[in-house]
Amino acid sequence: MIEGTTEGLNKAAVFICHCSGNISEHVDINTVKKTLKAEGISVYDYEYLCSSQGQALIKNKIIKGNLARVVIGSCTPSKHGTLFKKCVKEAGLNRAGLEIANLREQCAWVHHDREEATEKALSLLKAKLKRLENAEPLEDIKVDIVQQALVIGGGIAGITAALNLADNGIPTFLVEKDSSIGGQMAKIGKIFSPDKLAEECAMCSLSPLMNEVAAHPNITLLTWTEVEKLSGSAGNFTVRLKKKARYVKDNCTACGRCSRVCPVLFEDEFNCGYMDKKAISLRFSQSVPKVYCIDPDHCLQLNGGSCGKCADACKNGAIDFSQKEEIIELNAGAVIVATGFEEYDASQKPQYGYGIFENVMTQMELSRVLGINGPTKGELLRVSDFSKASSDPAPSTCDSRCESLSDDTSEAETPKRIVMIQCVGSRDEKEGGNCYCSRYCCMAALKHANLIKKRYPDTDITICYIDVRAFGFYENYYRAVQEAGVNFVRGRPAELIEKPDKSLVVRVEDTLNQKIRELPADLVVLSAAMIPSQGTKKIASVLNISQDESGFIKEKHSKLKPVDSSLDGIFVCGTAQSPKDITDTIGQAGLAAVRARAFITDSPKTLENEIASINQLLCTRCGECLNCPFDALSINESGRVVLDPLICTGCGYCTELCKEGAVKVAGFTRPQLKAEIEGVLEEGDMLGFVNSGIASLTCDNIGNSVLTYPSNVKLIRVPTCLVVDIDLVLHAFRHGASSVLFVEDPPDNPRAEAIYPLAVRHFEKLKEELGDSGNRIHFKKAYVPNIKGLAGTFTSLAREGEMIK
Amino acid sequence: MKAIENIPDRKLLLFKSCMVGQEYPGVETATRYVFDRLGIDYCVNDEQSCCTGIGHYTDIFEGLTTAAIAARNFAVARKCGYPNITCLCSTCYAVNKEACELLNTSAEVRDKVNSIFKEKGFYDLVYEMGDMDSRTNFYHAVEILLSKVGKIKEEKKFDFSGVKAASHHACHYYKVKYLDVIGSPENPQLIDTIAEACGASPVRWYEDRTLTCGMGFSQLHLNKNTSLQVSKTKLDSLQRAGVELMIHMCPNCHIQYDRYQPVIEKEFGVKYDMVHMNIAQFVALSMGADPYKVCGFQTHSVPLEGFLEKTGIL
Repeated sequence: MIEGTTEGLNKAAVFICHCSGNISEHVDINTVKKTLKAEGISVYDYEYLCSSQGQALIKNKIIKGNLARVVIGSCTPSKHGTLFKKCVKEAGLNRAGLEIANLREQCAWVHHDREEATEKALSLLKAKLKRLENAEPLEDIKVDIVQQALVIGGGIAGITAALNLADNGIPTFLVEKDSSIGGQMAKIGKIFSPDKLAEECAMCSLSPLMNEVAAHPNITLLTWTEVEKLSGSAGNFTVRLKKKARYVKDNCTACGRCSRVCPVLFEDEFNCGYMDKKAISLRFSQSVPKVYCIDPDHCLQLNGGSCGKCADACKNGAIDFSQKEEIIELNAGAVIVATGFEEYDASQKPQYGYGIFENVMTQMELSRVLGINGPTKGELLRVSDFSKASSDPAPSTCDSRCESLSDDTSEAETPKRIVMIQCVGSRDEKEGGNCYCSRYCCMAALKHANLIKKRYPDTDITICYIDVRAFGFYENYYRAVQEAGVNFVRGRPAELIEKPDKSLVVRVEDTLNQKIRELPADLVVLSAAMIPSQGTKKIASVLNISQDESGFIKEKHSKLKPVDSSLDGIFVCGTAQSPKDITDTIGQAGLAAVRARAFITDSPKTLENEIASINQLLCTRCGECLNCPFDALSINESGRVVLDPLICTGCGYCTELCKEGAVKVAGFTRPQLKAEIEGVLEEGDMLGFVNSGIASLTCDNIGNSVLTYPSNVKLIRVPTCLVVDIDLVLHAFRHGASSVLFVEDPPDNPRAEAIYPLAVRHFEKLKEELGDSGNRIHFKKAYVPNIKGLAGTFTSLAREGEMIK
Repeated sequence: MKAIENIPDRKLLLFKSCMVGQEYPGVETATRYVFDRLGIDYCVNDEQSCCTGIGHYTDIFEGLTTAAIAARNFAVARKCGYPNITCLCSTCYAVNKEACELLNTSAEVRDKVNSIFKEKGFYDLVYEMGDMDSRTNFYHAVEILLSKVGKIKEEKKFDFSGVKAASHHACHYYKVKYLDVIGSPENPQLIDTIAEACGASPVRWYEDRTLTCGMGFSQLHLNKNTSLQVSKTKLDSLQRAGVELMIHMCPNCHIQYDRYQPVIEKEFGVKYDMVHMNIAQFVALSMGADPYKVCGFQTHSVPLEGFLEKTGIL
């Protein structure tokens, strides 16, 4: 026996598992053994083949009998397939020499007539034996993974993910498009804690983390940088970055002299549009890196004027107007997308007056206003009174400003009546709105209401809500806010009216007593929806990863793979994936880091080798197969068609595209499938080709749910129905199939979304090509819960077959 | 939501409206004048009847009769080869669209209606499920104008720049099938966009912008005070916003404001500086149409002469 090959194919044996009666109570194992032995095949049975004793038996027989082909009749390969593969490998058998016949879910459990079940078990085992005669050894594919990671987006999600990766020893690049990391969280004045019922300084939590990023030996921080292009594949991505010119060198000490002499003042996006930004500035005073940055759109010198005042003021000579943008290329084994959210443009709801009436602001703007480093230094003012606040743009720190509040704001008025409107652009099915709940706004409104109530107890605050969603421990905080005297009106306001004194009236129906109310307000705060940021949308198209209908990056599985994007090796976390608050973001970012680390450290990676392979002797390089839905195939420099094993999902679409038969899916070649068809079929059978994903699970579930179908239903697992061509269908008809059913995965995940329409088209084409026999093939989409429907289809098609017989 | 690029300009049956025909015939002539200049392929069919809307909303016609009459009108549209029913009145639009949906989804209604047709030997009127598509066979004339807004700008002979206009969008267009309209029903921009193309400056927002005209069909007659109070609320708000021209898309709103503005002025002792017209009349004027022969302003109750003189048309 030569290790790792299937030489000596005549040496075959069958192992049958009793599964503690699960199989043996329905299948007469002695009859099966006798019949097979009469054909000269060794048969062994055991109570539990999956037990260590059972595995020892298999290994022992393989080694002693010098076996080259092994069929295991047991439960579904989805359950113990990996275990048995490992078992035969340990005995030195190439895993192409192993086949598993599903005697439990697709035989014993669904056919209660002992004789019928026994007959079917025999046909399943024989088919697998026949299939093995055509097996070719499968070689392991191994790929080296680049031992560094890229995190895109320097908000709290990206910061958390980068720190976790770096702490775990993975060299990490953190890319941020703005001049400082910090993201949206840096704009928020206070964060709340539900257990302490207290609000804390957000920057005091964030700032140490930002500094840790800057100081971490495993992190390379690239701010003022954008991702231009991603190429390569999972494990070995090449990323092209554009590092914009900052016009300030790293020897900047952030003394601020330059900013003080800069004559240009413009609207500060960070400070909700307040006119306090200089053309040379820090994004905010705690910026990381603490290096000033010149805004090229507003700087006089860079726009043809002669100013250069900052360069004169800088004692370190850090200003460099000749700086050019740089293109940086780097390799990464895994990528984490943490590109965040932006606020819904509330001006799309003109009835709420945002952008029309002065004293309407959003919840994010209010959190900026309440920030000690905000436009009013933390003083709560009406927007129309902002100009009366101190307008000293000098950097302020939390500590220094805390004591001397409201020095210069004597004329300005603190709003006495505040109305907050929830769900602006969220839970809104109308045009321009978003159907989803934005998750953070109820708690943000409660936090702001509580903060204001504590500092200005006389303020009258009303929150107009649809439902208050204070999940988990947040309920405690909600209760505390109610007790603090904040008013709640259940109703979505109709519109706002502005009075001549710039105060407002909110018209709302209190739906708990069906009364129309007019709530006077000095300030109205809109809890605008969270929508995916421009950066999130851009990065999704640069990386070519799936988005949901709202533009958030779609995870592979909402429950089981919440941080895996549609592409292997690319992970997502935070508000780029779905609306969420800081707590959830940090939790998810940690998971994304763990997943990325696991992906990177599993190197060299052994890949599932049931994927496409190209016979270069037959290949004419016509390029048809390049229409691969996953772009796994490409033409290399020497003109040969090559496959990226990391991208290929083994769906088999290329086998249909290739007219020369030069492409095949390993483990599912035509001779193998033909052999299995011949072995399994008898006159009048219904043959099902079942996608090995969700569709197979659904078929197994019929058995798990104690439903039955006739024993002349025979199922063959295929990667997808795309590997079944007209030859195979005709072969099945010739060998007795009365009808052929394709059972496909529903388009519920990114892979199936690409496959499903192709499968439907493939089926329709087959139907047409088959002409009169076209009505003997059928197609069914299998959802895991829809077992009754699928069992019903099996039964009705099988009955038709019996009638023909 | 409807997409502008899917609005057809071919095979339109310009659905005559009784309110337009008897109150403001100028709206129809102005629409035809504009359609002709925009190269729209449309026809007017004299076999078409009233949609029953005014009778339906005053509880004279029940649903089944309305559905039967709609089925008859659909047959008229299909027979003449102009199946895209394009309404001048938002009530016709809503009634036809709703009737089509009912005929497509309820076998019971369809069978009843068809059995009446068959009994009387009107086999050509029989409606089969899917004969019309409630989403793609029904339009309001204003949607057609919006889809040609570029051409309207090109055809502009007279510039209304500086005219402070306000739009009043119809609830039977924006509120009945609110998920199948152009733009957001909370922020309708249909009329505003067209008016802007003619050079006017529509006010972006005014108090009670989405408030109904107050007519409410039978309400105008049964609860006249409430009805007029609603109209007054909106007129007051427009007066505060300094609006001189209110532009409509529905003859019912048009009646409520144009016919009843003088009544409100008298009964509530107020005075308004506003005149009223349909958006089709406004576009026609900007294309150089005659205010009387085409736009039929002689049938209006609030005289437009002052406005026309001020803008230099007269």
